[in-house]
Amino acid sequence: MNNSPRIRPIVNPCAQPFWDGTRQEKLLIQHCKECQANIFYPRLFCPECHSDQLDWVESAGKGTVYSYTVVYNNSPSAFLQDIPYVVAIVKLNEGVQMCTNIVGCEPEKIQCDMPVEVVFEKLDDEFTLPKFKPAQ
Amino acid sequence: MSNIKGKAAIVGIGEIPTGRHADKAAIHFAVAPAREAIADSGIHKDEIDFVMPTGAVFNSQFNNDLVTCRLVEELGLKNVKTNAQVFAGGASGSCLVKTAASLIAAGIAKNVLCVHADKLGTGLAGGQAGIDLFSTAGISGEWEVPYGQHYSTIAALSMTRYMYETGCTPEEMAAVCVSNRKWAELNPNAFFRKPVTIEEILASKMLSWPLNAKMSNMLFDGGSAFVMTSAERAKDLPNTPAYLLGEGSRVTHFVHSQEKDITRFGWADAGRDAFAEAGLTPRDIDVAEIYDSYPIYELITFEELGFAPRGEGGKMFASGATWPGGKMPTTTNGGMLSQGHTGAGGGVALVVEAARQIMHKAGDRQVPNARFAVETGTGGTYMDSQVTIFGNEIP
Repeated sequence: MNNSPRIRPIVNPCAQPFWDGTRQEKLLIQHCKECQANIFYPRLFCPECHSDQLDWVESAGKGTVYSYTVVYNNSPSAFLQDIPYVVAIVKLNEGVQMCTNIVGCEPEKIQCDMPVEVVFEKLDDEFTLPKFKPAQ
Repeated sequence: MSNIKGKAAIVGIGEIPTGRHADKAAIHFAVAPAREAIADSGIHKDEIDFVMPTGAVFNSQFNNDLVTCRLVEELGLKNVKTNAQVFAGGASGSCLVKTAASLIAAGIAKNVLCVHADKLGTGLAGGQAGIDLFSTAGISGEWEVPYGQHYSTIAALSMTRYMYETGCTPEEMAAVCVSNRKWAELNPNAFFRKPVTIEEILASKMLSWPLNAKMSNMLFDGGSAFVMTSAERAKDLPNTPAYLLGEGSRVTHFVHSQEKDITRFGWADAGRDAFAEAGLTPRDIDVAEIYDSYPIYELITFEELGFAPRGEGGKMFASGATWPGGKMPTTTNGGMLSQGHTGAGGGVALVVEAARQIMHKAGDRQVPNARFAVETGTGGTYMDSQVTIFGNEIP
């Protein structure tokens, strides 16, 4: 069994509020005060209008599975201990999308467009990753 | 639309067999095909005035050598004015072509040598090292690496959604691999040359459902090179020129999970631009050198460029239409799935193969009377859609 250390995110300082949020079990995304765009992943400037007037708002944490895959073999070293695990792209109801893991259900039960909701998994004292489970 | 049609041509090609060559240094994979391409072109080595290596990823020291003019010195090229790297991951082949052609059209360069070399087969510390290298190369360290994203999952995510939307079957997906292998059986530079069946592919180890091991490329050592010059000069050289007739391209993402449509990317728009510039349609194309690395990408690109209706491409790959002797010969070197993946070189090899077919130098796998070829490339996590069209006449 491989026991490689967990992979921690390489943080761009402009995203620090996001990671501070997940530690408190809040899924924060950015909102542009100029053009009203919802933004993920965090940026220094709005990718739609280049405004620097960005707010942080809390996502309801609900969305759907855009696509998913179940890893059975040949994962990166740090994830061999997690096999089988599910990598997915989730589209949040706020209109942004993110890479994540689907947890809390049998991989065979997952389907595209299935509703999911956020859960928070603590990686260590500094990082908590937002993941998703089937919506209740 | 671009304005490069008929201004430049590939006039010489070189390639070493893809494989595991532990006894050779990486520079060997660069200078051997470069020497071959120069000799093939009929242009004297001292007429090369621009050297354009693409990136190598196995070792940063070697890549720095390429950036800092090592090829010019190793090859003894006496009149080079500029050595500059053009690197766009798997899209590097297409990007070398359009950059070299533009420099020639602008009069900045006369004869451009484009070279790829990498040592991913024997230059890394084993298979897991390759997986680990490619679990970070082009994958966001903040938004994807912590979730165990890697190239198998990236390909599988597109497969899952594409099969969900179109009803494409695993058998049809595997048929793309079979088609590529049919061509590789005829390609002495390919690594995998034994016949393979749909059943064998679907019975192979499941890596990242629905992606099987035999739907995945493997990493090897390799190198390829080509020489581009002006269309005017090309007329006086020994080879039938492979004129660049059109190009089209789109960039759609950096972080893979930000891609809006992982079943389409930018291929339809890129293809439309390239065909419009060339004044051709998919029906005019004799051979399609479609970037694979995984069957899903070859299938998506094939359909989005207009060679099959969406969701129907797999049936064409299964029917034999894309095989040797078929009506739409596709990825005729075997692609990364069968010739082998050499880093940025997978795409460079497809450029070389497109030129080889247009020059009628493809031996046993020559598509008879090939006049027009389309070539595609994409880099990183399929971040861009690059299309070029070549022909041995300028329509």
